[in-house]
Amino acid sequence: MFPKILIANRGEIALRIIRTLREMGIRSVAVYSDADRGALHVRKADEAAHIGPAASSESYLNIERILDAARRHGATAIHPGYGFLSENAKFAQACEDAGFTFIGPSAESIRLMGSKTEARRVAQSGGAPIVPGTEQGLTSSTEAAAFARDAGFPVMLKAVAGGGGKGMRRVDRAQDLVAAFEGASSEALRAFGDGRIYVEKLIENARHIEIQVFGDRHGNMVHLGERECSVQRRHQKVIEESPSPLVSRKLEMRQRMGEAAIRAARAAGYYNAGTVEFLADNSGNFYFLEMNTRLQVEHPVTELVTGLDLVRLQIHVAAGGHLPFTQDQVSLRGAAIECRIYAEDPANNFFPSPGRIAHLAEPSGPGVRVDSGVYPGWTVPLEYDPMLSKLIVWADTREHAIERMLRALGEYYVGGIKSNIPLFQSILNDAAFRAGDLHTGYLDQLLKAPVTRSLAVPELAGIAALVASQQVASAEPAVIKETQSRWLSSGRERLLR
Amino acid sequence: MSRIIKIDGESVAPLADATVVEVEPGVYSVLAHGLSWEARVTADEISIGDHRFRFEVEDPRQWKRTGAGAEAHGRASILAPMPGKIVRILVQVGDAVVAGQGIVVVEAMKMQNEMKAPRDGSVTAIQVKVNDSVIAGAVLAVIE
Repeated sequence: MFPKILIANRGEIALRIIRTLREMGIRSVAVYSDADRGALHVRKADEAAHIGPAASSESYLNIERILDAARRHGATAIHPGYGFLSENAKFAQACEDAGFTFIGPSAESIRLMGSKTEARRVAQSGGAPIVPGTEQGLTSSTEAAAFARDAGFPVMLKAVAGGGGKGMRRVDRAQDLVAAFEGASSEALRAFGDGRIYVEKLIENARHIEIQVFGDRHGNMVHLGERECSVQRRHQKVIEESPSPLVSRKLEMRQRMGEAAIRAARAAGYYNAGTVEFLADNSGNFYFLEMNTRLQVEHPVTELVTGLDLVRLQIHVAAGGHLPFTQDQVSLRGAAIECRIYAEDPANNFFPSPGRIAHLAEPSGPGVRVDSGVYPGWTVPLEYDPMLSKLIVWADTREHAIERMLRALGEYYVGGIKSNIPLFQSILNDAAFRAGDLHTGYLDQLLKAPVTRSLAVPELAGIAALVASQQVASAEPAVIKETQSRWLSSGRERLLR
Repeated sequence: MSRIIKIDGESVAPLADATVVEVEPGVYSVLAHGLSWEARVTADEISIGDHRFRFEVEDPRQWKRTGAGAEAHGRASILAPMPGKIVRILVQVGDAVVAGQGIVVVEAMKMQNEMKAPRDGSVTAIQVKVNDSVIAGAVLAVIE
């Protein structure tokens, strides 16, 4: 086993990994940029190494500085988390070359699955159904137009090197194709240094359902059920849950998708944690979308329904251990839902809302888990993803999990910056969500629907006025002697502003 | 008490027959008619349950003019809502634009945000170039 592990990441995921390391008696090494000296993951780690300026290209994405930190601190393994270098085959290779165990799959598996076109080929060779699309990355919109003519609109443009919704465009009409292709290609070039785009037929009203797979280095592989992530905005997941409401209605899908996922992963020689993403329609057809060769943001929902600690399992198999259970021993219990809490303003076109968190109250109680990377007084940096935390709940049924999530959201208070908590409250109260009638366009439709404002309780305004007067009174000096005091008049002006 | 308390812009009398205790900094417990409420105050916002109220307190002893005249001019500036980088400029000086039309795309916190025209008019100035870094409040473009 590893005596000390460096976490090449920041925020909530770094903290989540630190927690498991502590339970396992393994020392943790955090890394941090100039912007993160006071970050929670640095506070909670056993050791911490500075790796450069705020820009991630010079810190969290800088392979040499991270390896150097691991050497200085005497770590023997590196956990990449998600995002940043987690799906970078060069980083996985560089870790192994420098003598560190990379806690994840082999560099070769990352490379194979990292190219979306290559991944489609590998998945197909393993027998997984795929969405019709171009086999190669394209560099011109004329090739894309030729495919779209044959397959029919709408089509989806995707970056070969893509992820996280960057370089993705939906195209409904031939005349929009050129502009969309150029936009997607330049976005992909900026985000990934690779402007190649491929084209897929768009499956309308598709659901996003993914399978968690886990393999050891001895050829054993299992799946840990599915997660449904159909609630998305700009191709970014917003709510994830397990089990999928669709799979709960068509239970035979779980085994079919699980087996297809395992075949695809095996075809890539995969080990450690991975996720095979599918598009599914309501008749139970599903198509391979891509494979994520890392721990996912939404892994906690799988942890809650399986009772497993996926990070512990990752470390166990990275150290050469056998999977401690077989497929038959995997049992799924109850229902789990995750909300990604972001520093953004849903009332103002989801503008990011960085800044200082003046107040923070986090929910707790039965079945509630908060994986947070922030604390009151922390200033959310501009340089990184604006996710503050993940709120995850578990209950015996999906219906109870929804009620529990609403209760927990009601306890959650983030003051000083805006958060998307109100968005989750409207989704979880929406009839279609509660019925499990989801597809990847669901959230856009909900956001277009007229906003029904909750009825203001007249008494509440009076209570607010009472609180306001109290707040002002407690902010004033107890004894006012000199009415012309500059301090007093400036204080009054501040109140009046 | 000579103060005027405005909740969401309207003058509201504090609820009588209620007790209020500041239980944590900025957190108030209110018991009113047998009901228990918790209120949180950050800057000018009071949050009670799912409801959020803006509040302001006016003291008539200190008269000060506020608000008036903000929209007197025919110019509308489009400001950067936060620090970021200019990714694209969607219009040129002289272009006629309609309310809601995209003017400039700013990238901040890994997200691209389209800054839109607040109303109809024509673009009289564009103050930034692609790849410029801007601070919060920087004027990006002017529409008249």
